[in-house]
Amino acid sequence: MQIFTLFAIFLSVCLMAIAKRTQALVIAFRIQSFFLFLMTLLLAIEDGNIDLYIIAGLLLVLKVVAIPIFLLRISKRLKASENIGLFINSQLSLIALLVIMYISWYFSKMIFAYDGAAQIAMIAASLTTALCGVFIMIFRMTALTQIIGLLAVENGLFLLASTVSGGMPFIVEIAVFFDVFVSVIIMGIFVYRINKLFTHIDVDKLTLLKG
Amino acid sequence: MNKWLTLDPLGIFFWVVIAIVSLPSAIFSIDYLKTSKISKRLIMWLVLLVFVGSMTVLVVVNNALLFLVFWEIMAFSSYFLVVSDTSHEKTVRAGTIYITMTQLGTVFLTAGLLIIFKYSNSFDFWLMHRACTGMPHHIKNLVFILFLLGFGTKAGIVPLHLWLPYAHPAAPSHVSSIMSGVMIKMAVYGLLRFVFYILGIDSLWWGVTIIILGLISSLVGIIYALMDKDIKRLLAYSSIENIGVIFMSLGLSAVFTRFQMPYFAVLALIACLYHLINHAIFKSLLFLCAGSVYTATSTKDIEKMGGLIKKMPYTSACFLIGAMAIAALPPLNGFVSEWLTLQAFFTGSAVVTNGYKLFFGMCAAMLALTSALAAACFVKAFGITFLAKPRSRHAENALEVPTLMRTGMIALSCMIPVFGLGSIFILPWLSGIAGYSSGFTPIHITLSSGFSFVTANPGAKFCFSPIAMFLIFSLIAIAAGFLYLCRGSKKERSYNTWDCGYYTLGSRNEYTGTAFSKPFRLAFSFFLLPYRKTQKVRESFYFVKTFSYETYTTKVFKKYIYQPALNAAYKIAFSMRRIQPGSIHLYLAYIVITAVILVAFMRKL
Repeated sequence: MQIFTLFAIFLSVCLMAIAKRTQALVIAFRIQSFFLFLMTLLLAIEDGNIDLYIIAGLLLVLKVVAIPIFLLRISKRLKASENIGLFINSQLSLIALLVIMYISWYFSKMIFAYDGAAQIAMIAASLTTALCGVFIMIFRMTALTQIIGLLAVENGLFLLASTVSGGMPFIVEIAVFFDVFVSVIIMGIFVYRINKLFTHIDVDKLTLLKG
Repeated sequence: MNKWLTLDPLGIFFWVVIAIVSLPSAIFSIDYLKTSKISKRLIMWLVLLVFVGSMTVLVVVNNALLFLVFWEIMAFSSYFLVVSDTSHEKTVRAGTIYITMTQLGTVFLTAGLLIIFKYSNSFDFWLMHRACTGMPHHIKNLVFILFLLGFGTKAGIVPLHLWLPYAHPAAPSHVSSIMSGVMIKMAVYGLLRFVFYILGIDSLWWGVTIIILGLISSLVGIIYALMDKDIKRLLAYSSIENIGVIFMSLGLSAVFTRFQMPYFAVLALIACLYHLINHAIFKSLLFLCAGSVYTATSTKDIEKMGGLIKKMPYTSACFLIGAMAIAALPPLNGFVSEWLTLQAFFTGSAVVTNGYKLFFGMCAAMLALTSALAAACFVKAFGITFLAKPRSRHAENALEVPTLMRTGMIALSCMIPVFGLGSIFILPWLSGIAGYSSGFTPIHITLSSGFSFVTANPGAKFCFSPIAMFLIFSLIAIAAGFLYLCRGSKKERSYNTWDCGYYTLGSRNEYTGTAFSKPFRLAFSFFLLPYRKTQKVRESFYFVKTFSYETYTTKVFKKYIYQPALNAAYKIAFSMRRIQPGSIHLYLAYIVITAVILVAFMRKL
């Protein structure tokens, strides 16, 4: 079952990498978060820990429901072009993602050489998710994708923390969740302001601002 | 006397300097700032208080970190005072140059202090002093160079003097008076504290370097001052000259400290401190007078003044006293300290051997040249500003300044004869301070023999008495006055100046400052590199309608040192721009690359 969710997360990462429209990207992120929630729920059932149940619930409420809805609403209100502007097209992005996957797998095998194959795969998956988030932040033009990339990085870190060390302390986890939520709202407002001021959210064109 | 503050004789000496200059300047500022808004005035006085207060604390702290903190407070508060006068673009530019230079100096200072800290593990002066004894020679040399650059920037030693001629004309007069009178002296305090006391004079070339720098500064400063026609810039250049003289005696003291000749080291240091306090007095007086003239005529260009002696008798009397003192006319205070400096070089050259004999002799000769040029410079400054007929309508309508401004100036000009005639009482005090700060505490030299005679070494031939000089001069003056009363015609006739039958002599026919300085421009043309621009407008080949002639001098240091350095800096900055395009994506990529590199090198740690 765990392997299945892991596979699903891998797939969602691929979806994020090849997405061309904001909506597709948000949906891919939602799928990713959902499988993250599923994985945490499985862990909670296995462990029987009440903390893990709460974290899983928060994941479901915030990352699967609230944040995607908020992002979709913003992208609708912006009335900007749906296109997220690719520096690298989908096919090449996919190839790059495969390279990233291989590097993450190699790296995790190198560091956690004494763990089992499943453990290594999980670490590789989390690294891939985080690196894919960074990849999206760098190679996609609009400001909304930067937010989603950051969220993907956060997802990857969450996965890494829960697999390597069995999850961060409960308080920290809760704090991170609220941090993420608040930062998404703030960044959303910023994007909205940027759009109002420049009539676009193309971050690449912000270079014109420098003196 | 506690953990942070120590009041020693050197600190008291600088307190005296600060008090003598700051109080009259503050009194002066009350009327000087009258025209500006009350809120602005309050802010300016507050910043002035911070400025003077920071210097007051600066000289008594015994912790290098606190020293740096107050050094910076001093720099920033003075920066705000410099730019406070107007919002003119020139003022802002001057402030920027000043703050840039002074921050550059602080960089060197901080580097030097941190190097010492590496050995002492404490910022306490005494512990730093102890740690420096075990420091390798090359490190000591490095720290000395850093300190010299750092303090030299504040003092305005010649290659680093760039900010002085900009900041002083831009600042309000009472501020430039305190800056020139006290603030640049803080560099001398710093050198005495950090090089003489903490670091200890380690090599002979340290003192020689200070002497040569001082020599160059004094010559370059006074030559530029002779050329200038902005009265405050002229005074700023003259400050460079005087700080050069102070540095010369300071360097001489360092040389003799290294030679282990306490007597001469202390003698040179006495000359240094005496000239320091004298320059503080007469330079701040001259700046205040310049401020009065500026208030009255609303111009700083001396070519547009003239005839002010009749309109502003108090200001011109004060300026005259200051100019006489700075030109080292006996028996005023400038003469005493320059005489002591010369004596230190002469008597010093008698006891050293070989090349140093020649070197000191040359230095004394150059110092004499400097004094002569200073006299010429202030003949020009006084003559063009105050004598002859008014050259512009502003000068014609000038009025004497209000009481409080006069009070500030008169208070300072009273100090000049006090420090000249009373030198016999001041020298013992100074010799105690100099003996203390040169490290030869037991030595206490007396520079007086018999009644009121000042001498470099008791029993020697060279001595003079300011009081006797004063008596002789006043006797001659009384005799001349008596003769005039007896024999001269008492009838006063007022008539036009003899004008060779031309009859319409106007202010345009007068001797100008540029004309006055022409011989010096020719004599020093190898350094000043003068060039001229002429423009003729002709009606026909034979008839020239207008002819304009402008003469300029090349600012050698700015053109050949600072401009290339600045251009190089801009070039590097523009090439750096290629990796700083302002693109968020690229910055993110930089972060990732950095992280990847860090991870890749993680295993090696």
